[in-house]
Amino acid sequence: MPKNLRINSSNFIDETTRVSFKFDGKTYYGFKGDTLASALIANGIHLVARSFKYHRPRGIMTAGSEEPNAIVQINGNTAYTEPNVRATEIEIYDGLEASSQNCWPNVNFDIGGINNILSPLLPAGFYYKTFMWPASFWEKYEYFIRKSAGLGKSPTKPDPDLYEHKYIHCDVLVIGGGISGIMAAKTAAENNYKTLLLDEKPHLGGTTIYQSSEFNKINNQYSSKWLENEISKLKNIKNLEIKTRTSVAAYHGYNFLLARENLTDHLPLNKKKDKIRQRLLKIRAKKVIAATGSIERPLIFNNNDRPGIILSSAIKKYSDYYGVVCGKENILFTNNDSAYETAISLFNKGIKINAIIDIREKVNSEITNHAEKIGIKIYNSYTIVDTSGYRRIKEVSIMKLSKDGQSVTGSKIKIKCNCLGISGGWTPAVHLFTQSGGKLKFDNEDNVFIPSKYPSDQISIGSCNGEFDLNTIIKNFNQNIKNFLGIDKTSFEDLKINSTKEILKRNIWLLPSDKAIGKCKPFVDFQNDATAKDIKLALREGFRSIEHVKRYTTTGMGTDQGKLGNMHALGIISDTSGVKMSDLGTTTFRPPYTPLTFGTIVGRNVGEFFDIFRKTPMHDWHVDNNAEFENVGQWKRAWYYPKKGESMFDAVQRESKAARDGAGILDASTLGKIDIQGSDASEFLNRVYTNAWSKLAIGKCRYGLMLNEDGMVYDDGVTTRLDENHYIMTTTTGGAATVLGKLEDYLQTEWPELDVYLTSVTDHFATISVCGPNSKKIVKKVIPDLDLSDEEFPHMSFKNAKIDNIKCRVMRISFTGEQSYEINIQANFGKSVWEKCMEAGKEFNITPYGTETMHLLRAEKGFIIVGQDTDATLTPIDLQMDWIVSKKKYDFIGKRSLYRSDTIREDRKQLVGIVTEDPREVLEEGAQIVADVSKKPVEMLGHITSSYFSPNLNKSIALGVVKGGKNMLGKKLFIPMKNKIISVQVADPVFLDKENKRLNA
Amino acid sequence: MLNYNSPINETKDFNNLKINEESPVMKLIIRGKKREFISKVGKLLDILLPTESNTSTVGNNISALWLSPDEWMIYSNDKIAKNNNTYPIEENLINNIHKINLGAITDVTDQFIMIKMKGSQIYDLFSNGCPYNFNDFKNKKGAVTQTIINKIDVIIHNRDVDEVNLFVRRSFSSHLWSWLNDGAKRI
Repeated sequence: MPKNLRINSSNFIDETTRVSFKFDGKTYYGFKGDTLASALIANGIHLVARSFKYHRPRGIMTAGSEEPNAIVQINGNTAYTEPNVRATEIEIYDGLEASSQNCWPNVNFDIGGINNILSPLLPAGFYYKTFMWPASFWEKYEYFIRKSAGLGKSPTKPDPDLYEHKYIHCDVLVIGGGISGIMAAKTAAENNYKTLLLDEKPHLGGTTIYQSSEFNKINNQYSSKWLENEISKLKNIKNLEIKTRTSVAAYHGYNFLLARENLTDHLPLNKKKDKIRQRLLKIRAKKVIAATGSIERPLIFNNNDRPGIILSSAIKKYSDYYGVVCGKENILFTNNDSAYETAISLFNKGIKINAIIDIREKVNSEITNHAEKIGIKIYNSYTIVDTSGYRRIKEVSIMKLSKDGQSVTGSKIKIKCNCLGISGGWTPAVHLFTQSGGKLKFDNEDNVFIPSKYPSDQISIGSCNGEFDLNTIIKNFNQNIKNFLGIDKTSFEDLKINSTKEILKRNIWLLPSDKAIGKCKPFVDFQNDATAKDIKLALREGFRSIEHVKRYTTTGMGTDQGKLGNMHALGIISDTSGVKMSDLGTTTFRPPYTPLTFGTIVGRNVGEFFDIFRKTPMHDWHVDNNAEFENVGQWKRAWYYPKKGESMFDAVQRESKAARDGAGILDASTLGKIDIQGSDASEFLNRVYTNAWSKLAIGKCRYGLMLNEDGMVYDDGVTTRLDENHYIMTTTTGGAATVLGKLEDYLQTEWPELDVYLTSVTDHFATISVCGPNSKKIVKKVIPDLDLSDEEFPHMSFKNAKIDNIKCRVMRISFTGEQSYEINIQANFGKSVWEKCMEAGKEFNITPYGTETMHLLRAEKGFIIVGQDTDATLTPIDLQMDWIVSKKKYDFIGKRSLYRSDTIREDRKQLVGIVTEDPREVLEEGAQIVADVSKKPVEMLGHITSSYFSPNLNKSIALGVVKGGKNMLGKKLFIPMKNKIISVQVADPVFLDKENKRLNA
Repeated sequence: MLNYNSPINETKDFNNLKINEESPVMKLIIRGKKREFISKVGKLLDILLPTESNTSTVGNNISALWLSPDEWMIYSNDKIAKNNNTYPIEENLINNIHKINLGAITDVTDQFIMIKMKGSQIYDLFSNGCPYNFNDFKNKKGAVTQTIINKIDVIIHNRDVDEVNLFVRRSFSSHLWSWLNDGAKRI
């Protein structure tokens, strides 16, 4: 590192700790605390990137998150690679590897630089205009356009870093740790508000913390010293939490904000292991104080983008904060007093200032007079008309401005330099304020948009509120913060402030040149290479709205979101079209304020935490026995249990045969279970199900269909009467939560008079369903005391029982068409009972079966699955389940809708059985059903809802919905598939045991 | 004898945080609207059912958590036997509340898993996945909240300073346990 570019010792850089890093393959050194930008500047590197469109050489332009040019790829081709990292924000660490983007073969010699020569042919809208014809060529164009689109390379390997989310609730959130933010946080916390202070930099203090100037003093101390002292006091305030390296990304309504806390990006890779890299803070604040500061504006003049052209405030920060000199031959170009602070600061460090070029007429403030007094050459009412220097600025050409500032006069003066500081005034950072819904107003004096109407309990203070000098900031702070926090006094009311006041202002959005605009390159959006002439072209082509101009020219659409140039774009539109700035408004500021990594957004919701899952009490047994699982709702359900070499089809065929011929066992624990108690429980069931419940005897079970208000089937299941006023309802697995919610809603809002209480017991019980001709023998072995005779325990009944000393409920109900018993036992005993059943069933070849076999078995029997055979458009009548709809009941949910003209139509889609002509042909679920394949357009009659090959019937079976299907029994229909047309016949949906002999066997 | 299989059955020690599944713990949901219900339950259990929202009362043998205006969870303060799921308290309530139509008594012993958490980092861990504002809660002994952690419904009972009982539905418990462990490693 060239030592002479380090100009002084800095409080913020640890010069005892040298850090090595690579840039474009070459090793450099910096110090702990350097950003990549400050370290590169210290090494004399200014050319760091190529611009997006014209591939022009670009350097570091700022010292903050507004940086448009110095965006780099870090960590090469490793899994840690990341594109578009701002060199001004990333802190260097040992082993950091960064490289320039958008250039080939390298940043010094870039083939793409030819675009700069071709630039007259590439105006705004070039792609829109050029590649629209012939339309059929678009796909060919697109291939090449996509290759050149975007900056940097996306990672291709899984992100090895860890991220997480954190919820924070506070009374007062202070955004920004500059002087205003520090004072606000201290005041709030000292007044018993639980306060959170966030700042995006590693150190608090904003720009004041390195402001050691005679023109900014507080209580006769440099403002930096005073603030340092205030910051040191913050540590002792209990109510105050401070987070640095934390940037607020989004400000939503009702003071809900998102912020990214950067925890390890400044650490070497080997120290990041197992640590959270970034954390997304989800903040709910009762009050928000925005002290987000302001961003210095560039000036828009011909060739204002060369490496070495840097914002004046950034030059000051690099020298005062990082102790790095940006150039040895400096010129400052300004329209305000800020650049004079930079000039004086550099001058005081012995750095050469060749000139200050000020577009204002003779200026007469304390600071400008001082600059003149110390001998800095000042060109008043001059502008830069051109710059030169390919890889770094070498020279500027200046000319006298006309009175109206729209042209230049006189002769051209050329001044050498290797660093040009530019300052076009300040733009309050109102991005977060507007994201929250705040309305802006335009201040004509300072040419800034500032907060006007606050949509929530928030306030903007300091320069983000258009207050730019120390005196005004402190004065307004005291008044505003007292009102905002409802306090009588702050500890900053008696401060003695010494600050300079800007007297003269002159703003010219687009500075004139001696050349015609068409021959100039005055960049407005540096990242997207949008120039002032692009904006003017857009206006000539009829675009008026700032939103349209933005999209046509891409101004403000880069990763920096136009933080530097947006105001100039507005100003140029205003000047050109004659519309006032206040009437133009701004483009919409959308989150995030600065880019967020996908990792931060996702947090720990990756891998096993991507989605939540539920396990049944027997889950481990299923895993141990090689089950494949399927997701049903949030449950992991055993799908099938393949034996060695078995396909899913083979396994399901085997399981199905075993269940019909010997015994099968199913984990049915996922079914929703709702405990219903109360003296009106029967009446309640009458109202929620289509059939009647009052006469259901104690100890008996009944199947019920639940409808929505529109008469469509919503859920189904078996409900058991446990005693006079006590039922247990089962619901579908996926419908459990919504059914409970719906029923509770009815009880609380529609039927508050009913004495009924609902409690979910889904998780309390493990449900083990044993089915098949040997099921009775197996259950008898497991519960010897239970009388399982058909007389004592017929189909659709229930018994209380005990296994060992543990109470359980046994229901004789069936979803397979086989004789079945469901044992419901407290979940923690579920696995043990399951294993007992397996042991007891060994002699009968008991076979565990999963959901796929369950689906097949019930389809053989013609039992529906709500959600598979129904889709919220089918009534019970459509399902040919008229028998379950009571004609006698006064009312039930959905009853009225069953008698609408549409629901009683005969040609509605109705559920039917479908069999294929070729019994080996298994239909695809979802396949369309048609009557006439030659008819154009083909009339779709319906579709297949369930389809299987039945090993028990040795043929393909299917269920489907067909228009008017009820009256089509035996009719031949067709299933048109991609390569063939399959002939089918409409059949009875019950394919097996219509007489229910097996159920009652 | 049937084997008892609780889904977690672990104790984990982290930096200022200890978590373990506490089982078996008897849990009942009791529901009733009438004033008489509250007074009768109070007499039967020798505990005053809390009527202020999101609060609890702790008796000698059981604790009662307010869940909604007509719903409470009561749970045993001590572990119960593993080889018997007939609870005298439940039977007493069924006979004297349910059977006279005064309210509903439902055994939810295995509906919920109780995770005991002790240590100063409890709420820090919660904040990784819970949107609830614990600022006041953590200082209010006996406070109860029904919220979500990592998108999973939970009931949290503030037993004491830096000590909570967390109830989660059994089927979600291993997932939540895994999530708690993952986060706790880094606090």
